[in-house]
Amino acid sequence: MTDSEFDVVVIGGGSTGTAVARDCAIRGLKTLLLERDDIASATVGTCAGMISSGLKYSDEPDIMAMCSKEVMHFNHIARHIIMKNPILAPLLDLSDAASDSSYVDSYSAHAEEREVPSMLFLTPEASREIEPMLNPDIIASVYYEEFFIDPFRLCMLQTLDAIKHGATVRTYCEVIGFDISNNNDIQGVVFYNRVTGTTEKINTKLVINATGPWAHKVAKLSGENLDIRLNKGAHVILDRRVVNVGITVKAIDGRWIYLFPHENTTLLGTTALDTWEDPDSLVASFDEIEYLLQSIQTVLPSIREARIIRTMAGIRPLVPEWKRPEGKVTRGYRIIDHSENGGVKGLISFTGGKLVMCRHMAEAATDLVCKKLGNTAACMTHKQALPGNDADVDVSALSKEYGIALHALERMRARRGTEMLKVLELTKEYPEWKTTICTCEPVIEAEIRYAIREEFPQTLNDLRRRLRLGTGPCQGTFCTFKAAAILSDELDLGGDDFLVDILDFRAERWKGIRQSMRGEQLAQEELTLGMYTCVANLDQSDVDYDIKPWEEGS
Amino acid sequence: MILESDLLVIGGGLAGLVAGTIATESGASTILLRKGQSATAFSSGAIDIIGYLPDAAESISDPLEGLTAIAGLYPLHPYGVVGYGDDVAPEEVVDAIIGRVRDTVVWLKNHLQGTIASVMGDFNTNIYPITILGTTKPTCLVQETMNPGDVNKHEESVLLFAGITGYPDFNPSAAAKTYLEDRMALGQPPHKIGHCMTQLMPFRKCFNISSIEIARHLDHAGSIETLAKQLEPHVKQIGATHVAIPPVLGFRHALKNKRELEKSIGAEVFELLGFPPSIPGLRLQRALEEVYTKAGGKMLVGHEATSYTKTGQKIKTVVARSPRREISIDTKAVVLATGKYIGGGIAGDEKGLRETVFDIMTVTADYHSAKDILPSKATNRLEISPMGQQLQWCGLSIDPQFRPIREDGLEWADNVFAAGAVLAGYNYSVEKSGLGVALTSGYSAAKSAIKCIKGGGEN
Ligand SMILES: Cc1cc2nc3c(=O)[nH]c(=O)nc-3n(C[C@H](O)[C@H](O)[C@H](O)COP(=O)(O)OP(=O)(O)OC[C@H]3O[C@@H](n4cnc5c(N)ncnc54)[C@H](O)[C@@H]3O)c2cc1C
Ligand SMILES: Cc1cc2nc3c(=O)[nH]c(=O)nc-3n(C[C@H](O)[C@H](O)[C@H](O)COP(=O)(O)OP(=O)(O)OC[C@H]3O[C@@H](n4cnc5c(N)ncnc54)[C@H](O)[C@@H]3O)c2cc1C
Repeated sequence: MTDSEFDVVVIGGGSTGTAVARDCAIRGLKTLLLERDDIASATVGTCAGMISSGLKYSDEPDIMAMCSKEVMHFNHIARHIIMKNPILAPLLDLSDAASDSSYVDSYSAHAEEREVPSMLFLTPEASREIEPMLNPDIIASVYYEEFFIDPFRLCMLQTLDAIKHGATVRTYCEVIGFDISNNNDIQGVVFYNRVTGTTEKINTKLVINATGPWAHKVAKLSGENLDIRLNKGAHVILDRRVVNVGITVKAIDGRWIYLFPHENTTLLGTTALDTWEDPDSLVASFDEIEYLLQSIQTVLPSIREARIIRTMAGIRPLVPEWKRPEGKVTRGYRIIDHSENGGVKGLISFTGGKLVMCRHMAEAATDLVCKKLGNTAACMTHKQALPGNDADVDVSALSKEYGIALHALERMRARRGTEMLKVLELTKEYPEWKTTICTCEPVIEAEIRYAIREEFPQTLNDLRRRLRLGTGPCQGTFCTFKAAAILSDELDLGGDDFLVDILDFRAERWKGIRQSMRGEQLAQEELTLGMYTCVANLDQSDVDYDIKPWEEGS
Repeated sequence: MILESDLLVIGGGLAGLVAGTIATESGASTILLRKGQSATAFSSGAIDIIGYLPDAAESISDPLEGLTAIAGLYPLHPYGVVGYGDDVAPEEVVDAIIGRVRDTVVWLKNHLQGTIASVMGDFNTNIYPITILGTTKPTCLVQETMNPGDVNKHEESVLLFAGITGYPDFNPSAAAKTYLEDRMALGQPPHKIGHCMTQLMPFRKCFNISSIEIARHLDHAGSIETLAKQLEPHVKQIGATHVAIPPVLGFRHALKNKRELEKSIGAEVFELLGFPPSIPGLRLQRALEEVYTKAGGKMLVGHEATSYTKTGQKIKTVVARSPRREISIDTKAVVLATGKYIGGGIAGDEKGLRETVFDIMTVTADYHSAKDILPSKATNRLEISPMGQQLQWCGLSIDPQFRPIREDGLEWADNVFAAGAVLAGYNYSVEKSGLGVALTSGYSAAKSAIKCIKGGGEN
């Protein structure tokens, strides 16, 4: 087989696509992953990262069972990027609890295998002991525990593992067409390389369309219609871990919403709106922000005192079940083999699914691919660990050994597990790379250099996904220019590219900051403008800056 | 505790300190409150007068041209307001504005002379100093330590950007590339630009070094020699005539350090324009505070104006609070120079924008009330563009004497004057006019306040 010929091409570098590429590669298939932007640049990056017990889907017992199993698998293969959050569901009146109490039993049925306690009811006093910010008027609360995974790192690790097993991964390559024979067989994939500005073509007989909310558009490139229900969800992000535990509550319209401590921040989410918007220009609306704040305020009256740093919005690619609310649409997924209904042969698409089931989705799709190719290798993705998972890391010992703050190392461990040793190794030759570049997260220079060398970022936004750079309270005010200089150094960029990187990163941060501008963010923004506009004069720089999709219009 | 003063200045950034100094020098007893940090201390230390008109692509080559344009196009701009004195005839407006701004620039230059923030530059022309990113920006005055000399004029000049290992705020290689590309596009000198790193190890640290640590270190006798030794071979190697370093030359001895460096390495040395934590910004803040207190003004740091009593159209008393005490200040006039969002003069939430001390009406860029405006609605899709962010235009609307006005167009009080970033009608980020407006409005508000104080009990 030549370099332009593959057993299978996976389109989409989200949670689903990277999981599929990994599975295919491990099973020995010659695999190509094409992603039009960066790994984890779309839906998966806007999700809460909860690998849930499936609590919300108690009327789909199979899915609850599957979710629970998947959590066990993740805890086995990726424990270093997983956190467990205790969660309280405070009840203000009995109707909050009574409507669908079957969830208690279904949750508890699978609790033991995930090594968490069964669901408990707590008195108001016990609840407020755990979370003093709770409204004193609550009558009780439900206690349970859920696991959370870093969605960016999961996708990255799946990708790195796929590469380790021989897969080719091409980011910034957008599929724009298929080569289809007269017999309606897929023969190749045509894509546009956004970095070089050229069109390339490779040969393959099998394509997996894992493009999330773009799935119907990509299917259409082969002439196929794909029905999908697109549903917008938004989050409001608070500057730190403002609560000790996760809080879930019925929103003003009766849906469940949540407030989850997430890495160094807190996520308040989410909304659910059927949408026809372009995922690329999607932003949270004022109504969505207020809906979330109004709803959580009922149990956490002081929530508005917290500092909102930004919002983020994504699109759920749901199974096309119509005439029912989003919450009632199955959380399962569908694999569509387009050849089955007399359509194009060799194209397989996904609809539905969740982050938590990405490995399961990949296994099912890879099984189908292997069947078609006569490959009998068994799935190993739940057995083989992802990079960094192999052993525990003693961060306090490392902190002493390298003279780096414990907190910085703890955060690095949560991204890299044992792989962090390779980062620290760099500081032996270059002690100055122990310098903290992003102080909010924090991230040290050595990790930025390591990520640039090993994880193929092209831009500062790519670095953000790999390192959480610029995701804290200052939203990159103080690290954008420092990190841009390092990127420019490592990639040997010209002066224009250095400035464009800064502008691109600011544009992406602003997309989320702008919607929720209030309180301390106003001073933060004045500072940002003072630096990048007033002092650096970047508003007047004549570099080749591409207007972003969300910047178009007035 | 109860204090008395002729003038109470609320806010200790450039606007408030200038106003306080002018008042003190005119013989008025003055108390100044500063609750916390000021945008002034975050500034790069370059004093911008006017560099661009909003949304314009071409920079303004001298303040005269810029002020003339503002007088015509933006009469409600704080610079424009200067031309509306009772004694100014319509055809004299432009001259009045230019005259007033020139006076204030001269005033500031004289007052900063001999301080740790002494400045150079000329009201008649803008200069284009280099920033830590290698970009340039139009400004009017820079601190003497930041004087780039003839580096961008002399055909034979060779510029060396020098960084400090472990200090991440400045990357000389990226800055050199950016500046060189810019100069090549213009076909102007310097035609040769290099970069290098030096090892300073302030307080024996080799990583996580901050500008403040370096500046403190360089204030110690002898430290500058280490830097000179480190620079020397690099200067020789490329034959540098000029050396650009980050703005960290010291708090107290920056200028002396510059001269010593120049003597030992045989090239001109200058500080670049940088970001916070900004040593030149801190030097400016400290120098202005010294000027004010030396003139006899009283300053209460860590005191926040929290409430007031108003009788009729006059403020009588303002209450200031610090963590440990509460002070009542009886005063004849007030200059409100509380800054914008950083200073804390204007705050905003989902309900709208408000002025934080007196709750005076705020206005938008179009002079509509900003009381009910959702901050996110006063923004642009583009964060960084010559259009700027509307939010930066919002603030207080004033009469020709710099008295804030209410919704009905009348003065909120007869003895309250406002200055600096708390004002509406200009956007310093895009105009590059921040410290210039703070200066001119602080000066003008003080002049009006003095008149009001001397006018005594008339109204
Ligand atoms: C607000 C919100 C909260 C959520 N919270 C959770 C949660 O807590 N737990 C959970 O399990 N699930 C959650 N989900 C669901 C979950 O995020 C998604 O189901 C899942 O991440 C989708 O992943 P994906 O890989 O299918 O899609 P995506 O992440 O969107 O990936 C698709 C990729 O395809 C690429 N692509 C598109 N077109 C092309 C093309 N022509 N050529 C090449 N590449 C292309 C895109 O750039 C994109 O990177 C949430 C979803 C939302 C919106
Ligand atoms: C990063 C950055 C860089 C900049 N660089 C430049 C530059 O290079 N050149 C330039 O010309 N301009 C620059 N600017 C703009 C310039 O700094 C400001 O426009 C200017 O400093 C405003 O001065 P001010 O006195 O009005 O406000 P501030 O300097 O913000 O002062 C306001 C003061 O009021 C005090 N205060 C507020 N409320 C109360 C209260 N209730 N009681 C008591 N005290 C109170 C605050 O503590 C503060 O001391 C920059 C701005 C920023 C953010």
